Amino acid sequence: MIKIAWMYPDTLYLHGERGNALALQHFSEVLGGEAVLDKVDFETKDFDPMDYDILFFAPGEVSSFEVVGEDMDRYMDRLKEFIESGRAVIATGTTLGLFGGEVSRTDGTKTHGIGFIPATAVEREYVYGDDEQINADYHGRTMEVVGNQIQMINISFEENAEFRRFGSVVYGMGNNGRDGIEGVVYKNSVFTNMLGPVLVNNPWLTSEIIRAAAEASGKNVKAKDPDFELERKSLECKKLFIAEKKPGSMGL
Amino acid sequence: MKFRSALVYGKLINLAINVIDKSRGSNKAGEMAMAKCPDMMKHFKGIDPSKVLFITGTNGKSSTNNLINHILTKQGYKVVSNLAGANLLTGICTALLKASDMSGNIDADFFVFETDERYLHKIRENLPCDNLLVTNIQKDQVQRNGDPDYIYRKISKVAEEFGMRLFLNADEPRANSLGRKASRVVRFGTAKHSRSFTKDDSYVTMPCPVCRHKIEFSYYNNDNVGGFRCVHCGFSNEDGADYITENADFENRTFTVRDVQFKMPYDQPYMLYNYSAAVAVVKEIAGIEPEEAAKAFADFSNISGRYETIHYKGKNIKYMRFKQENPETLQNFINVIASDPDEKVIVVGYGTVNDIIPSYINSFYGFDCDFSKMIRSNVKKFLCVTDTVCYDAANSFMYGGVDPSMIEILPTSDVSEILEAIAKQDTDNVYLTMELAKFEKMQAVAGKEG
Repeated sequence: MIKIAWMYPDTLYLHGERGNALALQHFSEVLGGEAVLDKVDFETKDFDPMDYDILFFAPGEVSSFEVVGEDMDRYMDRLKEFIESGRAVIATGTTLGLFGGEVSRTDGTKTHGIGFIPATAVEREYVYGDDEQINADYHGRTMEVVGNQIQMINISFEENAEFRRFGSVVYGMGNNGRDGIEGVVYKNSVFTNMLGPVLVNNPWLTSEIIRAAAEASGKNVKAKDPDFELERKSLECKKLFIAEKKPGSMGL
Repeated sequence: MKFRSALVYGKLINLAINVIDKSRGSNKAGEMAMAKCPDMMKHFKGIDPSKVLFITGTNGKSSTNNLINHILTKQGYKVVSNLAGANLLTGICTALLKASDMSGNIDADFFVFETDERYLHKIRENLPCDNLLVTNIQKDQVQRNGDPDYIYRKISKVAEEFGMRLFLNADEPRANSLGRKASRVVRFGTAKHSRSFTKDDSYVTMPCPVCRHKIEFSYYNNDNVGGFRCVHCGFSNEDGADYITENADFENRTFTVRDVQFKMPYDQPYMLYNYSAAVAVVKEIAGIEPEEAAKAFADFSNISGRYETIHYKGKNIKYMRFKQENPETLQNFINVIASDPDEKVIVVGYGTVNDIIPSYINSFYGFDCDFSKMIRSNVKKFLCVTDTVCYDAANSFMYGGVDPSMIEILPTSDVSEILEAIAKQDTDNVYLTMELAKFEKMQAVAGKEG
């Protein structure tokens, strides 16, 4: 049985990410036969990350970072153990910043993430919303992933041997619109700006995350992907749409 | 002098627009006049700030503005407003320009303006105003609004900085919480009614605007609007509101406020908030008692384009506009369909979002919505159309619990092809949603061929 914890769902609640939680559950059932999706938040007593295979953190408002970060302190050691073991944290959208360090806000104040990723963030004065297309490297597979960004913060992150890029930007802004890097991967955990139903629409990625997490937990799941015909058709439509966007239309 | 010449220039532009192209009349004159005199709004005379109201928020601005205007004018008051919905600085400037004489004097009793949330501060800087109505602050237009907190901070800054009297939706947590920092607050709301709903625990709610923990809803009147309480700090709407629409009777189309019966001009549940807001405003600003306000409800006609019906080859195609970047309007669409027990086909035209450059694809918000009652409401087929987003729409319906065999995908944005596909359906009762521009094309084709 694959166990998924959906972290702070009513605080990290933006952009219809319930879809991604459902996709993790659905494809865990398809690949592993059985899956559990539990909501975990401030009120959850005795939460232990090691009871789970995947922790899913959806995007939230920067104003929530402090209170969520403080609550994460109570299980921080076990969270680090979880990540080091190769189980998967999936953090989408702005929540990438929650796992990083300092966040400079537009009003001149600073807030802090939990400091796990060697990255800092600067809150944007203006929102940037668009599609994003990347070539992702994950768990030994290279794959095309198309999703969205609603960029509230710019991320500064320099790759090293342990913390690598999640993907290379084909179209879109990525971490900051400058270096062509999208997101961060550490072992099997993914921290990405991509949001919306990225795991619904890119089930090849979702399946690989489930496989990686299951492998780390010593659980058996199917090695072969199910039929993704609907999602493949969707991907081709979107790539066509993105390809037809006028050069320079990103307006970064 | 600069103001005077900009005023004359603006009036001439307005005159020319009226002759050439009236559709550009809501913004252009103000835009061009302000290019000559950027602070010209500060120079109009005869505006008493206590008689000025700004209406802001995510949903309901235009309808509330229209209704308040209607009540005030029925009472014989002269109102200056931006009823065409041009809610930026230039739109409001155009309205003032049109209402003023050649010296910039305005002879009016009230000034009621719908204002864009993001530009509220700029507008208030230019036009003194003592009254601010906040309908709700929801997920919306994420490509430019990002998240609700981004808008909340902008509205909150205005409310604090200018010390305005606030008219707040008591049942929407963010709007309600703005009152914690204000000295003059009037709250409006809607009592639980027969179309209130709940959602199961798999859906998310929202963070408390006070402590960021979970807000729990005991019922919803609209998505994320209803009876609420924070599980951590206890922030809630349990203290009630000053003006509440109660006893909503959707069959006989009546409701009450302060024991006065009103006719319900539109029976969509979300309109109940616009009704209580309007009754509150006209009483507090103009002294119009609910008994008098009620008389105006009998012949209120809202702006068009939200709900339309077209007839094509025997099919009644009921169009409802929803904003693709706004789960509340999508949930409203779903709830309206669910309340119709007759056999039906649902045509969903999620498209690319083309509001600003760059256009992009957004199929996020189906996952925030509860489809279950709609699925059980005698739907024969879900037809997912448009060339780019039809597959994502179909997928989100499947995740929502729709049997895949009931979904037909038609990857085209050609309105003639979509109409032909509708004509082939076995049932005459068809619900349609898609962007307004595309629907208007469909309306034109149906008018010619149907």
